[in-house]
Amino acid sequence: MSKAIKNLILCHPKDNVATASSPLNTGTLLSLTEQKTIVAKEQIPFGHKIALQKIRKGGPVIKYGERIGRTIREIKPGEWVHIHNVVGERGRGKGRKKG
Amino acid sequence: MNFLGYKRLDGKVGVRNHVLIIPSVACANEICNAIALKMKGTVSIPHQHGCAQLAFDAEQTARTLIGVGKNPNVAAVLVIGLGCEVVNSSMVASKIAESGKPVKNLVIQEAGGSPKTIKEGIKIAKALVSYASKLKREKAKPDSLILGVECGGSDACSGLAANPALGVTSDLLIKEGGTIILSETTESIGAEHILARRAINKKVREKIFEIIKRTEMRALNLGLDIGKANPAPGNYEGGITTLEEKSLGCVMKGGSTKVMGVVEYSEIPTKKGLVLMDTPGHDAESMTGLIAGGTQIIAFTTGRGNPLGSPIAPVIKIASNSYLYSKMKDNMDINAGEIVTGKKTIQEVGESIYREVFRVANGKLTKSEICGHREFAINRIGPSF
Repeated sequence: MSKAIKNLILCHPKDNVATASSPLNTGTLLSLTEQKTIVAKEQIPFGHKIALQKIRKGGPVIKYGERIGRTIREIKPGEWVHIHNVVGERGRGKGRKKG
Repeated sequence: MNFLGYKRLDGKVGVRNHVLIIPSVACANEICNAIALKMKGTVSIPHQHGCAQLAFDAEQTARTLIGVGKNPNVAAVLVIGLGCEVVNSSMVASKIAESGKPVKNLVIQEAGGSPKTIKEGIKIAKALVSYASKLKREKAKPDSLILGVECGGSDACSGLAANPALGVTSDLLIKEGGTIILSETTESIGAEHILARRAINKKVREKIFEIIKRTEMRALNLGLDIGKANPAPGNYEGGITTLEEKSLGCVMKGGSTKVMGVVEYSEIPTKKGLVLMDTPGHDAESMTGLIAGGTQIIAFTTGRGNPLGSPIAPVIKIASNSYLYSKMKDNMDINAGEIVTGKKTIQEVGESIYREVFRVANGKLTKSEICGHREFAINRIGPSF
């Protein structure tokens, strides 16, 4: 079940992204656990995702403990994770974006 | 929880008591509308279909119209056809009549044109409304309820708040012997393994994979990217990045119980508990399939704000975020946004949706009904000829 942290919602312990439960400004310090913190590298709109760890190019994006797509470039911790750096892998014929 | 509903002759229980005016073909739309406009207690369901359709499409249109006519929220039916259509109105009328409710049929070419059909239709509608108005609500058990669960205009909060809360509602109704229909196959792509894991048997498991593959292949064979149509632009803006992410949130509406069966679009399920219906992600088409399948109430989550309703089923709108709830309060029945801010739990909101389902079953009007939303759209498989 999902876990609410201040400003973030983490759906599953396996996830490498979390959802912003309020808009995040660049530089916002987010505490994931007592030991682990992360800094928002850019503005992240409400409901959008932030990377909790480095995800390599082509690596899986995990939310709800499940694979929701793959990255088209390396994503660093604290970066906004969305359609500019992630693609879905299902239901996509030849009209798909490269990557 | 029991409720007060309209007991029909086939043993089913309605939560509304409509007199339905069905055009069996698009050619009868305006005549049906004219009668419904005039006669209180009636509702018409204009649509584009009923002729120049290939066999499988005509069969789906007929199945939909018959199913909607049989829906327990409908007390009596008038079917109007042109006379030369593929989906013949007397066939539709006689199939609906198997449910035991009063059904009449009019044919425009036989009645002698539009004004004469309208005049005759008003006379029939008067008698049907008079019949329906004498029916009384009686005590009914929750196992007679079929709740359709739908989402439209989703945002990232849909999968975090509104959909899991509705999943709690689904589990509660199933525990009381009721039925949940989870639809929108497109929005299960990427989450089918979760549903398949919960299939009651091998046959159901295989059927789940089959409807997903069929939908996905339809796009792949056309060389198209479903992602250009679904997720929709507003979904992306709301934080949903891929179809898989949308789907994983979408299937939560069905709760956590075993999947008891899979039915085709507009097919009436024979199993109770959680049932999947193969519908597209298009909400008006999906909800039309649900009501044809016998759904009396639809619970509909939305993050971007969706006003859609149904001509015969009350649609309960659940906002996934508090911003939407306050912005579109005239369309929203329940706010699940307090889950995101930590003020309420998923369980609490799920229970409040459950209580609302029964208030609505007892006659409370939903915002979609008050606002007059009656969208009706039959899913089309092939082209017109």
